[in-house]
Amino acid sequence: MKFHSPKITRREGLKAALATAAGAALLPASVRSADAQTRSETLRHVMAGTINSLDATVPGSTREAFGAGMSIYDRLGSFGRKEVEGQWTFDFDNIRGELAEKIDRSADGRTFTFHLRQGATWHDGTPVTAADVKWSLDRAVSAKSLSAAQIASGSLAKPEQFKVVGDRTVEVSLDRPDRLALANLSIPLSPMFNSVLAKKHATSDDPWALAWLKDNTAAGGAYIVETHRPGQQTVLRRNENWKNGPEGKLPFFRRVIAQTVPEAATRANLLERGDADLSIDLQASDIDALEQRGRIKLVAVPQTNGFTGIVFNTRLAPFDNPKVRQAVAAALPYEDMFKAALFGRGRRLFGARWTEVPSEAFPQRLPLNTDLAKAKALLTEAGYPNGLQTTFAFAAGAASAAEPAAVLVKEALAKIGIEVTVQKMPDAQFVTLQVERRLPLFMESGTAWLPAPDYFLRTYFSGEHRWNFSGFKNAEMDSLVQAARFETDPAKYAAACKRMITIAATDVPTVMLWQPNQDAVMARNISGYTYWFHRQVDYRDLVRA
Amino acid sequence: MSVAKNIGRRVVKRLGASVPALLGVVVFTFLLMRVLPGDPATFFASGPNAGQEEIDELRRQMGLDRPMYEQLARYLYDVATGHLGRSMTTGQPVLADLAQRLPASLELSFFALIIALALAIPLGIAAALKPNSLIDHAVRFVCTLGVCVPTFVSGLLLIYVFYYLLGLAPDPTGRIDIFAAQPPEITGFLLIDFLMVGDLAGWRAAFGQLILPAFTMALFVLAPLARMTRASLLAVLGSDFIRTARSVGMTGWRVVIVYALRNAMLPVLTIIGIVFSTMLGANVLVEKVFSWPGIGSYALDALLASDYAPVQGFVLLIAAIFVMVNLAIDVLYGIADPRVTVE
Repeated sequence: MKFHSPKITRREGLKAALATAAGAALLPASVRSADAQTRSETLRHVMAGTINSLDATVPGSTREAFGAGMSIYDRLGSFGRKEVEGQWTFDFDNIRGELAEKIDRSADGRTFTFHLRQGATWHDGTPVTAADVKWSLDRAVSAKSLSAAQIASGSLAKPEQFKVVGDRTVEVSLDRPDRLALANLSIPLSPMFNSVLAKKHATSDDPWALAWLKDNTAAGGAYIVETHRPGQQTVLRRNENWKNGPEGKLPFFRRVIAQTVPEAATRANLLERGDADLSIDLQASDIDALEQRGRIKLVAVPQTNGFTGIVFNTRLAPFDNPKVRQAVAAALPYEDMFKAALFGRGRRLFGARWTEVPSEAFPQRLPLNTDLAKAKALLTEAGYPNGLQTTFAFAAGAASAAEPAAVLVKEALAKIGIEVTVQKMPDAQFVTLQVERRLPLFMESGTAWLPAPDYFLRTYFSGEHRWNFSGFKNAEMDSLVQAARFETDPAKYAAACKRMITIAATDVPTVMLWQPNQDAVMARNISGYTYWFHRQVDYRDLVRA
Repeated sequence: MSVAKNIGRRVVKRLGASVPALLGVVVFTFLLMRVLPGDPATFFASGPNAGQEEIDELRRQMGLDRPMYEQLARYLYDVATGHLGRSMTTGQPVLADLAQRLPASLELSFFALIIALALAIPLGIAAALKPNSLIDHAVRFVCTLGVCVPTFVSGLLLIYVFYYLLGLAPDPTGRIDIFAAQPPEITGFLLIDFLMVGDLAGWRAAFGQLILPAFTMALFVLAPLARMTRASLLAVLGSDFIRTARSVGMTGWRVVIVYALRNAMLPVLTIIGIVFSTMLGANVLVEKVFSWPGIGSYALDALLASDYAPVQGFVLLIAAIFVMVNLAIDVLYGIADPRVTVE
């Protein structure tokens, strides 16, 4: 091995490296290639999560996939939207036809007839037929997807319930007049597929083409997927032949870029510089400053179909004792927690003063108030005069709100002799322990897609499924949720709901704390933002002035 | 010719020797992921009405319903046949994800390393020539600062100043302007791909996107490189052959650059190898801050979700790269110091 003149190569190498560094420092800002016109018709949505499946019904789909699915696919029906105090939210009581231009409901409430829209086509130009709808509904109840469990909550469970009665007419029949049947056909988990296309990619192992539809679409919705790079970005192009919007109107944006930007501070920077148009998952602590600088528009809507609460494991001592739960509930410093965890950005679910439930709405403010003397008395009554020890857990992903709250919980419970060890866990670990019901006390959030009080109570306060976080088991509650579900008399329905709310308020399986705001931050010229039950952006609503 | 043959033989031998290590890494990661608390099936069964049925179905899909030894055997078979499983987080095959993301991480790490070397070696030389002088202290200060400030802080700071305040840098997300046309996909290294298709505007845009994240990473690895250059050069400068060279009247810079620096480079090369491997694996924070679609942030997301396949694939990939980098460094040793025999 010989090196007679290594100095030259090495020196040159060094020079080249220095030149690169110098060049780097002098390089001007990037070259923008898109012209102004297309930019104004393009929406750039930056988000922390990722769209991991184009078909929202595939098990393991992220929430972002639910949002994207709304724009890519159509459903038979769609909730309306209403303007409340200058903010748009979804209207659960007003369902219009989406892919169906007309929906007939029989007098006994047990049959729905869907008349498909004249001239409706799939993205590949072929017409939408009743057979497509039948296949999609069969898939929803038969395939091993997320749909089956969800739409069963509307008494939709068997393929025999769906009947083709004409080229463009489908009949759906129910055993009992379920209040939530139609609502369940208007959600991200009941999309309508182009069955001819999907069937081409079905296999004997996978007769409903779940695997293929994860990365491909057989859709007819308002947007067509242009590129899809999970974990990076998904680009949508407007479907110019779409006829299923309200009054048949096309959405405003020709192009939508949904981009994953993991760092919240970067998302905020992008919005303030005007490079991004919308984000719904910024940090609560940044929102005030962003609003004050005034370069962006903030639409803050309380998530009225959700809650954050402190959950007791009612199947494990000591919290199987309602008195201990009541003691903790009376010791919590609600207002301080609300300020520290949420910066007051949300709606309180504590602090009511009623003794008789005022309405059947749920979640509503419950009579949860700080009263240390009462808390101490209850704890003594429960057989713990010297206090007890427990742990308080929360998921790392929820830490920004849960961590400050946990500190206050620990401090407050120490005052009544309960010694709390705070446990912050990786999300997957937290969820596993929670599902196995091994956490005694923890903080958790939930949302009910269909904000009917009975559905909410059924989901979160009864049954064996994971959403009954506290494992609450109460015979009266269990029979009432079933009765309310099929109750057609509004007065009886209201009475049942009020009774269930009373049980939830006195037995406190979960201390309902608050409903956090959904803080949607957007460019100032964007309007029409609507809060949806699935808590994602529906791109079809948005307009740039 | 014999040199090349020697190197070739050595490469083959080293690669062969690394197989048991890689196998160990595969098995160890496999077991570790399953020992860690957190069940991916439960985590991903997050549908609005997810019940036990859905959890079981996911478990079946991921093969987690089978006994552990069978899972391991299947995984080893898959790895041997070139499959790394499917990521639940992105829904894609892990191999495809890694293949798409590795060039992004490599490009960033290479570029950051070049910047770091271009800064660290002159700084190290300057410090070594005047030990304990003001320059030496200044270099020490800069290096300490670089190490002390975590990369996500320096990254956010750079974004704040150069993007948010001054507007000089392009928007700090990803490898290319989001509104621009898709880059050509040839090698996955954008700087190379744009040159290959002759798109200079695209090249400059990609280069612009690279500068801030690369500088953030370079700042962090400045210290080991500069300190090692200084220490090693100091030792060499005190040795006999340097004294001899000076005594025969050679010019100062010739002595330093040609004789001293070349001899001082060996330990620096070792550090470069370690620094580069570390950068690839540990630039997670930089990738997160700059939305860089690299393998680090990919693996972190998977780890938080207890998503087994991507984490295992990532560790295997990093182990393989580590083997390659060490090999490359050994080959470079031979070039830098002819006395290092091939065995």
